[in-house]
Order: sequence, then C-alpha cells, then structure tokens
Amino acid sequence: MSSPRTLDARASVAWLRRFARTTPGVVAVIAVAVAAGCVIAGLVCGAQLDGRIAEHNAVLDHSEPLAYAAQNLYAALSAADAAAASAFLSGGIETAPIRARYQQALADTSSALADVTAGTTDPNTRTAAAEISAQLVAYTGLVESARANNRQGFPVGSAYLREASSLMQTTLLPGAEKIYTGDLAAVDEDQRAVESLPTAGLVLLGLVLVAIGVGSVMLSGRTSRQFNLGLVVAAAAVLLVGVWIVVAIRLAAGAIEQSRTEGTARFEQLAKARILAQQARTDETLQLITRGDITAGEESFNRHIGDLGTLLDSGPSAAADAVLKWTASHRKQVEAYEGGDYPAAVAQAIGTDPGASAAQFAVVESSLHDAIEQTRTTLRDRVSAAGARLAWSPTGTLVLMVVAAAAAVVGLWPRLKEFL
Amino acid sequence: MVLTALVLTAAGCGSSTSPLSVTVTPIEARPAGAQEVTTLPAAGNADCDREASLRPGPQPAPGAMPPGSTMAAIAERGRLIVGVDQNTYLFGFRNPASGQLEGFDIDVAREIARSIFGDPDRIDLRVVDASQRESWLMSGQVDMVVRTYSITCDRKDKVEFSTTYFNAKQRILVVKGSGIASAADLSGKRVCAVWGTTSLSALFALDPRPTLFGVDRWTDCLVLLQQGQVDAISTDDVVLFGLAAQDPNVELVGPSMGVEPYGVGIKKENSDLVQFVNGVLDEMRADGTWERLYDARLRSLGPSPGPPTARYRD
Repeated sequence: MSSPRTLDARASVAWLRRFARTTPGVVAVIAVAVAAGCVIAGLVCGAQLDGRIAEHNAVLDHSEPLAYAAQNLYAALSAADAAAASAFLSGGIETAPIRARYQQALADTSSALADVTAGTTDPNTRTAAAEISAQLVAYTGLVESARANNRQGFPVGSAYLREASSLMQTTLLPGAEKIYTGDLAAVDEDQRAVESLPTAGLVLLGLVLVAIGVGSVMLSGRTSRQFNLGLVVAAAAVLLVGVWIVVAIRLAAGAIEQSRTEGTARFEQLAKARILAQQARTDETLQLITRGDITAGEESFNRHIGDLGTLLDSGPSAAADAVLKWTASHRKQVEAYEGGDYPAAVAQAIGTDPGASAAQFAVVESSLHDAIEQTRTTLRDRVSAAGARLAWSPTGTLVLMVVAAAAAVVGLWPRLKEFL
Repeated sequence: MVLTALVLTAAGCGSSTSPLSVTVTPIEARPAGAQEVTTLPAAGNADCDREASLRPGPQPAPGAMPPGSTMAAIAERGRLIVGVDQNTYLFGFRNPASGQLEGFDIDVAREIARSIFGDPDRIDLRVVDASQRESWLMSGQVDMVVRTYSITCDRKDKVEFSTTYFNAKQRILVVKGSGIASAADLSGKRVCAVWGTTSLSALFALDPRPTLFGVDRWTDCLVLLQQGQVDAISTDDVVLFGLAAQDPNVELVGPSMGVEPYGVGIKKENSDLVQFVNGVLDEMRADGTWERLYDARLRSLGPSPGPPTARYRD
C-alpha cells in the first residue's frame, strides 16, 4: 500500500547521499549541523540555567520559609513547656505576665503550625503537623487540668503537669524536630541544585565546538580558504557562552556557599542554642515541681547548658554573658534547694530579681531570637545574590547561540552560492 | 469551566487530583514512667516479726545528744534530713498556697527534729520516690524516711524500722458506680499501683491477676483513673483517702486486703537513732501529741483509733 511512497523516500535519500558527497553538499551539511547544534545547545543551556534560577526561587519562596517556620514551631513548643512549668511553680494563682508568656507561646505554636504546612504537598510533613496539632490540644488540656487542680490545692495537679511535660518531651518536640531537620535538608538540597554545573548544556557546547572544528577541516580541504569567518565567529560565541555559564555558576556557587556558612549553618546553630536554652529552663523548673532527687534533673540541666555554652562560643556575646549569669543564679537555686530553703530556690528560679534566672533566661532567649532573625536575612540575601549572578544567563545564552547559528549560516552561504 | 470543576470536585469526581488527606490516631498521654507490670521480683523473706523494733534507752534532752552518737552528728550539721512524700494528700503533700510540705508524716518528722534540736523547723525535707526509699537510706542521702513506709520483712533485710506509728489497710479506689466492690471483682480489670510498694506486690499475688500498671507516684494513678486508662487503684486506705479527697467522683470500696504498719525507716547501722526515734514515738503516744496530730491532719478518716502499741524485740 505504501510502496510508492517508500520508493519515493528511498529515491530522495539516495539523492541526498549523492548530494552530500559533492562540495556544495558538504558545505550545506556543515551549515545545517552547526546551526542546528547551536540552537539546540542554546535551548538546553538556557533551560538548565532557568532551572538553577527556579531552584534559587524555591529556596527563597519555599524551602527556607518552611525551615524558618519549623524552627519557630520547635522553639514555640519548648517555650510553651517552659512557661507552663513556670506558671505552675508560681503557685495557685500565676501572675499575669507568666500567664501571658504561656499564651503567647501557644499562639506562636499555632501560627508556626500553619506556616510549616504552607503549600506543602509532602504527606510526611502534613502528617507530622497533624500529629503535633492533635498532641498540642491534648497537651494544653493537661496543662489546664494541672492548673485547675493546683488552684484547689490538689497535689494531683503536679501529676497532670508532669504528664503534660512528658507528652511534650517524648512526642511533641521530637515530632517538631523531625519536621525541622527535614526542612533544613530540603534547603540544602535546593542550594546544591543552584550551584551545580549544567553538565548536559556544557557537553552540547563542546559537541558544537567539535562540529565547527571538523567542519572547518573539511572545508579547508575542499576550498582554497583556510578559515571560514562565519564558523570562527560561531566558535567564539559558543566559547563565550561556555565561559559565561561556568563563571556565572561559580559566582552563584560562591554566594550559595556564603549563604551556607553565614546563613544555614549559623541559623542551625542558633536555633539549636535557642532550643537548648528552653530545655535547660524546663529542667530547672521541673526540678522544683518534682521536688525529689534532683540528680537526674541537674545532669540534664548541665548537659543542656554545657552544649549551649559551646554553641555560643561563636554566638552573640549578650547571650553568652547571660548564660554565665543564669548558670550562677541556677547554682544559688540548687544551693538553696539542697539547704532545704525551698521558697528561696523558687524565688531564684522564677522571681523578678533582674539578676535571677528568669531575667537572665529572658536575655538569652531574646538575643538568640534577634540573632536568628538577622541570620535569616543574611541567608536570604546571599541566595538572592546567587540568583542575581544567574539572572541574564538563560536569555544571554540563547541569544548568543542564535547569533552563533546565524554566523555559521551567513559565513557558509557565499561558499554554497559559488556552486549554484 | 471553573464552575464545572467546582461541581465535579464537590461531587467527588475530582478526587484524583486532590492531595491525599492525612490521618492521625487519637492521643492518649500517659504519665512518665507508667508501664504495664508483667514481672515483679519475688517477695523473699516473709517470715519475721516485722513490727518488733529496738527498745529505747534513756531519752536525751533536746540539744544534749550523747557525744559520738548519730544524733550528735545530726545536731552538729544543724538540720535533720528526712525523706518524705509531696503527693500524698493527708500524709505528705505540698500546700500550693504556702509552697510548704504538710501532712501527718511531716508532723512526725518535725516532732523528731524538735526532740533533737528543740526546734521542729531545723529540718530539711527531701522528696523521695517510693521505689528509692531503701537506696536513699543505705547511701546515707537522708537520715530517715517518714513516708507512708510499710514495715515488711523484705525491707527489714536492708533497713531498720522504728515501732509502728500508724496502721493502714490496703483497700480499693474506684469511680463511683464501677461495679467493683472487692478484690475478687478486680479480675480482668486494669489496676494501678506505684512501683516498689507492698500494694503492688499484693495485687501481683492476686489470682487471677488483674492487668497492672506501675507508675512513679500515687497521683499518677489518680490521673490514669480520671482519664479512664485504669479501672481501679489499690493501696493503703490513707493514701486512697488522700486521692479521694481530690475527686468527688471516686470512692473507697471493699474490706481490708491486709494491714500495713507504717514505721520510720532508718539506716541499719544507726541503731542508736532507731532507739532515739522509738523514744520520741513513745513520748508522742504518752503525752497526747499523737492524738493532737491525728486530730489536725487525719480527722477526715474518722474518729481516732488511738496510737498503735509499740512492740519490741526483747
């Protein structure tokens, strides 16, 4: 049925083969191959660079805000636990500021919960967030039970608070930590994607250069001229594109590296410090609520404070100073407790004296919070800078490669015309 | 178009494009340390005269402890260190209004401090978990333990006890209308007790054995009962009265499952201190202090049964 057409096709292929062996044929094949190669390489390079820019946008619009929200979630949960313990410890009727701190921490938690799932389709994150929502409701219920019983003077109140804190430490915080580490890994992955070289595009550029070289050799064998100006211009344009891509990606990688060292790494360190501070605060308050053997509580406090001190060696000095004063105040609390002076120990832990633990902890918390905000700005600035290094590269690459294609065709046209 | 899409989604036809919804299981929080009890170290020595203690010698006057005695060392230190409870409503608990530890056990400890120093406030109260009482005494972290401490032969292998200062009875606390009326009804139910207590051993020995949950404190048991995670709590009536006072929806049921004599726990080596404390307890029985303390702390248990009679080994 299709045999006549097949015959036709065979005939035209045979004609093309014969034509390709002639000099004008060779010239035409070189022109077509180089021009097509240039356009294809240009499209691929442009698309790959576009991909890098999209990844940089993904960091700015998606992964970084999510990691920031997850950090806030973790910190707000720890803050809620520390505040609930302080409120409980302050006796039957907690003061307005202590109550307000707990409520603020809950509000922060809810906002952060909404933020960590913003635009995410990842079922793991959404499940983790749903679990935290469910646990948080249970947690606040337990805290209120503790409060209601405490106000009536019932010792079962402290059992409710212990159950709440246990729920926080064993399920809520690990859940939040899972989201946070996952989000940080996503930021890192997106950062890597921005700084990776577009290999496929560069290989294609190399192939185009090889094609131009081979074409030039074939041409010089068939014609009297040694170089074809069009092919030389095309080669120069292709080289220029290659250099542009490599330089732009290197510059972007430099900015990304800065965003890592001055941004992500520091952000991670500060966030860890903030959580350690909250946990140490919970330790010292729970010691006084549990009112038993404080050995385990002290071990936990010292471990958290020790890790915090190490992290703050390169952190904000205000926080490091406050940690020293806080630790000194905590020593006084333990001394008072071990000396049997419970009210003095409680006053040292949650009293309003500016030299005591509560005030110093507030300084640690607020300076770490400010440092985290600052670091976040740095991180975003550096990633933006990386994007700026790449900004014109997709368009520029495509335009230059079209110029290269045009140069090859225009340069070879006179050679072809000689035979027409 | 948009309208069509909306209608389709509403009709459930668009479900292929909507992201999968997530599901989470209901949250059932448990007190830290709560666990089902499946094995318990076997009760060893049950064959001894558990209530017999050391007869006191001549009682020294406050502030004049015999040189070289354990009491003299305590007087030298300036404070008597006592392991107590802070979660047992009538016997040892923290009054949230004052932040102070109060209760019958605390009062007994203060009377001992008064006999050493002439001042009941020269005392350092340390909260000790039930399961840590022996180890704290043996390591010398506290001079004595006054904490609803049942005298048993097992414990007497490790520590010494004073004479009995209170007789408690093991009973059962349930939610009103639960249908549980005695130990026989506990079969197939979930019952809570504190790790390392005689109550837990007694429950473990029941046949058939109920499902047992061990926790760190008695108030943790009340939390579990209020949250519907257990059906009953079983321990000394005074502890249960303390729990019942915190919740009008629960009640004590059943006859006594066994008498639990409370004594002051003291390190085995400090026999002079045991004799001294027995002397203090004798004075309290004789001069009406015991009745006064009962009246102040335990009146809600009913009329005073009178102080338990002291028994001595000789």
